[in-house]
Parts: sequence; structure tokens; C-alpha cells
Amino acid sequence: MVLTLRSAAAGAALVLMSAAGPATALQIAGREARAVRDSLGRSVTLPERAERVLSLQPEITRIVAALGAGDRLVGVDYFILNHDHLFPIVFPGARDLPAISHTSEDINFEMVLRLDPDIIFVSPTELQMVDALQGKLKRPVVAMASMGSFDRLVEEILLVGGILGREARAAELASDFEARLAAIRGSVSEIPVEKKPRVYLSFWGALTRTPVAYEPVDAAGGVNCARGMLPANLGTIATVAQAEQILVWRPDVILVQGSYPPKERAITTEGILRDKRFGSLPAVRNGKVFYTFGFWYWWDPALVLVETLYLARLFHPEATGAVDLEKEANAIFKKYYGVDGAYTALCRTLECGAWDER
Amino acid sequence: MRGKKGRLIVLFFFLSPFLLMLASLSIGRYHIPPLDLGKTLVRTVSPASFPEVPPEYRDILLRIRLPRLLLALLAGAALSVSGASLQALFKNPLVNEYILGISFGAAFGAALSLVFLGKGFPPQIAAFLFALAAVLAVLVVSGRSGSHTVSLLLTGVIVSAFFQALLALVEFFANPYALQSLFFWLMGSLSLATWSDLSVSLPVMGLGTAALVLMRWRLNVLSLSEEEAAALGVNVRKEKLLIIVLTSLSTAAVTAVAGVIGWIGLIVPHLVRMMVGADNRKVVPLSAALGASVLIVADDITRVAASFEIPIGILTSLIGIPFFIFLLGRSRKVWL
Repeated sequence: MVLTLRSAAAGAALVLMSAAGPATALQIAGREARAVRDSLGRSVTLPERAERVLSLQPEITRIVAALGAGDRLVGVDYFILNHDHLFPIVFPGARDLPAISHTSEDINFEMVLRLDPDIIFVSPTELQMVDALQGKLKRPVVAMASMGSFDRLVEEILLVGGILGREARAAELASDFEARLAAIRGSVSEIPVEKKPRVYLSFWGALTRTPVAYEPVDAAGGVNCARGMLPANLGTIATVAQAEQILVWRPDVILVQGSYPPKERAITTEGILRDKRFGSLPAVRNGKVFYTFGFWYWWDPALVLVETLYLARLFHPEATGAVDLEKEANAIFKKYYGVDGAYTALCRTLECGAWDER
Repeated sequence: MRGKKGRLIVLFFFLSPFLLMLASLSIGRYHIPPLDLGKTLVRTVSPASFPEVPPEYRDILLRIRLPRLLLALLAGAALSVSGASLQALFKNPLVNEYILGISFGAAFGAALSLVFLGKGFPPQIAAFLFALAAVLAVLVVSGRSGSHTVSLLLTGVIVSAFFQALLALVEFFANPYALQSLFFWLMGSLSLATWSDLSVSLPVMGLGTAALVLMRWRLNVLSLSEEEAAALGVNVRKEKLLIIVLTSLSTAAVTAVAGVIGWIGLIVPHLVRMMVGADNRKVVPLSAALGASVLIVADDITRVAASFEIPIGILTSLIGIPFFIFLLGRSRKVWL
């Protein structure tokens, strides 16, 4: 019998399965052996207990920490240790973990063997890494990512919770995530389509690189201009728009990825506002060019909620009311990571306190 | 190509980049009716005319399409002329404009800027300086060797490999934000052309190309053996150095603003030689005209073939190589 992940989180299933393909929702079926069908459609037999976890997928690493299982991490990837500005704040113990892989497929296999993990999490976008680890080390390797989908992120939380035996905490977080998201969506649900701002997102260090789907914008009552475009890189949600296409879209709001310190930003809001090519756009004319968090290596479950709240307040301040973003955001991080003032600390690095003041 | 028909064909060659450029002004994701195109151009000269023309049209024509078309025109000409000149100079049909380490020198410079140096040192300037540094390294190292031509080519390969290794090292230590910007730059594109970038690079490309065109007859002399050229009163070493400097300046200026656009400098001169023979007095200027036309058409395709921007370097390789193989198969001859 095939059950949903929610049922599994309630404590039933032992065998974790999903339909093949990265776009298919993960599911759990009842059998005696523990197995999971991951985002690549691979069936992976799971260990009885996953006490030693090697996570080379930052999104999973964050979820493991949020589930309160950060002490089981035996190694992580280079990015989350060195370039993720949030993770060291919400999980200070990360500083003591070894980095096993760099940006893609360069894994230190001997180090992996020395760490002796029960399970290894990787990104489905790094196919060579999956095959190399599974083939050489004969350890269970699970490839998973939300691929920018709220539903898949929730499923991922439940699935990782199931694998780590943290079903109750996973269910609590999944329920909290959905409740907060529903509240934000509810606050803007009455906004008619014609009042929703058309939003262009400049992400990943280039003016014309943009996601073809970005659910935080949709949930916050905006319309992503690039929605429906084909991704320029298979297996991702990124495309490269033409400068002229941005003029065709005539966005009301332009959002620039700001999840890294100001001195590292190749694209800035000030630069776009000064760019004469875009002087006729409503977003530029009206000064509606802002930073937002965006993402690298998919999401942090708490930060994506904060971002959605921030965007809803930015797009529709009249509908969301007087939200104290810092207070709300700190409460969300407290809920997910048990850390006080995480948002305040993050904003000190990113200088995000004044992002929406224009 | 002799007689009236030949002259007409040559005239067509030289007019075609400008006609294509004019036609390309109307091509793009933003539809501008032809009449409004004309009105916008008139309004640019006479601001009081046609007040009904939307301001977007002016932004698109003057700030997006015109700079990239001018860049395509001059970059195509510069790369083709550089390729033709170096092929003649080295008497080697496989030489291209990047043979002396320019592409990896420029890429390393851009990487340094994007990853470590920050906004105070723009990637365009860093790319240009390191492209020239690579050529300088080739000249200094190869200058110590006896057989100059062979050692120049070999040193070019070695210097390229060295800068490639440096580039890989920078990539390895780069943070992912800078790495994405770097990958974007490395793919090569005319889409990022702005007037401020072009204000420096276009004059360099233009002057370098014009000087090479003026020196075209000397290439015929230099393509003889060094002894024969010297017997004709040419200071071979000095002339070679001058041509290398000019091709390097032009190519580095293109690479700094548009990234590495491959195959133009190899294929276009060969196409021209297939049509007019190996006389560099014809090959060099016709390569300029054909190279400009080819890059304008390639850029048009990148703008309309998909909803997203296709890197022009990919397109020139994908279209250029099979076309070149087809022509080689038909002519069964490599001209030089």
C-alpha cells in the first residue's frame, strides 16, 4: 500500500519510496526493509539507524540541523562551511566539521571512509558525485533537493525526519512551515491579479540570470516575469534573460539577490537604478529595486519563510499590516534552530535592515 | 574576382555589414514597428520630433541594440583580421587569434577581478591587461630562441596552459557568487555591451584593425621565407612584432568586453581565401567585412532563436565548424 509522507511521519512506514524523476513527489510504501526512492528515481536501501550522517547537500544539512540532529553530522560540503552566511549562526557546531567536497564532484573518498557515515546525502544535480560515492564506497547515497518547490521542501523535511528517526520533530516543522506559509498566502489572497506586481529577479551574480519559477514571489502576491520560460541549464530553474526581454516584461519590482555581503555583490540595486537602459521601466522609475535573499544550493526552511514574509510586506504593505519583520524573523529562526537573534545577526552581515527603505 | 562583376561582389562584401546592421536594429524580443524605428532615430537627432514615440523605443535602440551591433561589427572584423594576419605571419592555416595566450590570459584577468579584486578593478580592464601580459610573456620567452616562428607558437601553447592552470586555481578557491559571475563572463556574449565599456574597447579594436588592413601588403612579404623578406628590405623581426602587437591589442579588446568568441578568426579568413585566393591585400580587408557580417548574423540568431540568450561563442562554433568542414570537403584545398 502506498502512503503519503505525512503518514510516514506519523510513525508507520519503514520503506521510503518515490516515483522516479526529480520532479516527482517522494512517497513512502510499507514493506519490511527500509528503502527510499530519491529525487533521481534511484532506490536506496537505508541503514537500520542513521547515527553518522554525511551531508554534501546544503539544504539537507540545514534540515538535519533544524531537526535537532546536527550532532549526527560527521562532515559537510565546502560551501556551507565557508560561504553560507546563515548556517554558522544557526548551527555554530558546523565550524568543527570537516569539508568533504568542494563545489561539485571533487570528493575526498578516503576521508569519507574514515568518517564512516551510515548515510550520505547529495544533490541530484551532481550526478557524478552520486555514482562515484555509491559505486566506490558502497554506502547508501540519497540524492534529494526541493528544486525550489515548497511542497517538495516539506516532503524533504518529513523524509529526512523519517530517515533520522525524528518523525515527531519533522512533523512539527512541516506543520509549522505550512501554517506560516498559509498565513502569508491568506494575507494577500484577496489581492486581484491586476494589482499584483510583476517582478523580475536578478539572481546568481548576473543581471540577466533569473529563476523561471520562484514560489516565494508567488506566495507573497507577486508575479514572476520569467515564469514559464525554459531553464537555460537542464536540472535547474535558472535561465538567462535578454536585457531587451526585461524591457518587454516591464516589471513593477526588480529584486536582486542579496544573500551575500555587500562587498561581494556584482549586481547592486544602485547599479540597476543608475542603468539608463532600464530608465523607462516602472520598477526603476518608481525606485522599486530591492534586495531579497534568494538562494544558493536551494533553501533554508526558516529563511525562505522569512523571505516570503518580507516580500509580502514589500509587495502589499496594506494587506500584511504593520509586520515587525525583525521580530517575526527572529521568532521563525528560534522555532527552527532554537537560536535567539539569528535574523538580527544575519542582517548585520548582509546589511538587510534597510533593504526595503526607499 | 576581376572585372565589373568582381568589383560589384567586393562592393557587396563591404556594404553587407552595414546593411545587416541596419536590418538588425529591427530584430529583437521587443517588437518595434519599422515606421516607429525610423521615428525613433529621427527623434534622437531632433528631440522635438515625434513626441508620441515611447521612451522605451529609444532605450532599446540606442542603449541595447546599437551598442551590441557596433560591438558585433567591430569585434567580427577585429577577430577575422587578426586571424588572417597571424595565419599569414606564421604561415600556418591552423593559427587563430588566440594562439598567443590571449584567451586564457584574459580569462585569468577577469577571474582575478571577479573573485579577488572587487569593483575597484573591473573585469574588462583586468581581462585586457592580462591578455596583453600573456602575449608579452610569449614574446619575452620565445625571443631567446633561435627559430622564432616555431618557438612563438610553442610558447603560446605553453603560456596558454599556464594561464589555464592559474584560472583553474582561482576557480577552485572562488566563492560560488563570484564563480557564477565568472562562468557568465567566460561563456562570451555581446549582450552586456554598454557605451561605457565600448568607449574604450571600440577605439582599440578599430585602430588595431585599421592598422592591420593598412599593413596588408606587408603580410604578403612576411609570408615569404624570412631570408626572402629580408632581401626585399623588410625588417622581419620588427614587422612581425608590430603585427603581433596589433593583433593582440584588437583581440584583447574584444575578449575584454565580449569574452572568448571562438572560430571566427580561423574560419572567416579561410572562407575568404577560398573565394579570392591567398593574396593578403584582398584577404585582410575582405575578412574584416565578412567577419563583421558573420558576427552580426550570429548575434541576431542568439537574440531571436530562444527566449533566453544563447552565448554567441557556442553559436559561432556550432555553425562555423560544420560549415567549414563542408566547404573544405568541396574545395579539397587549404589556401594560404
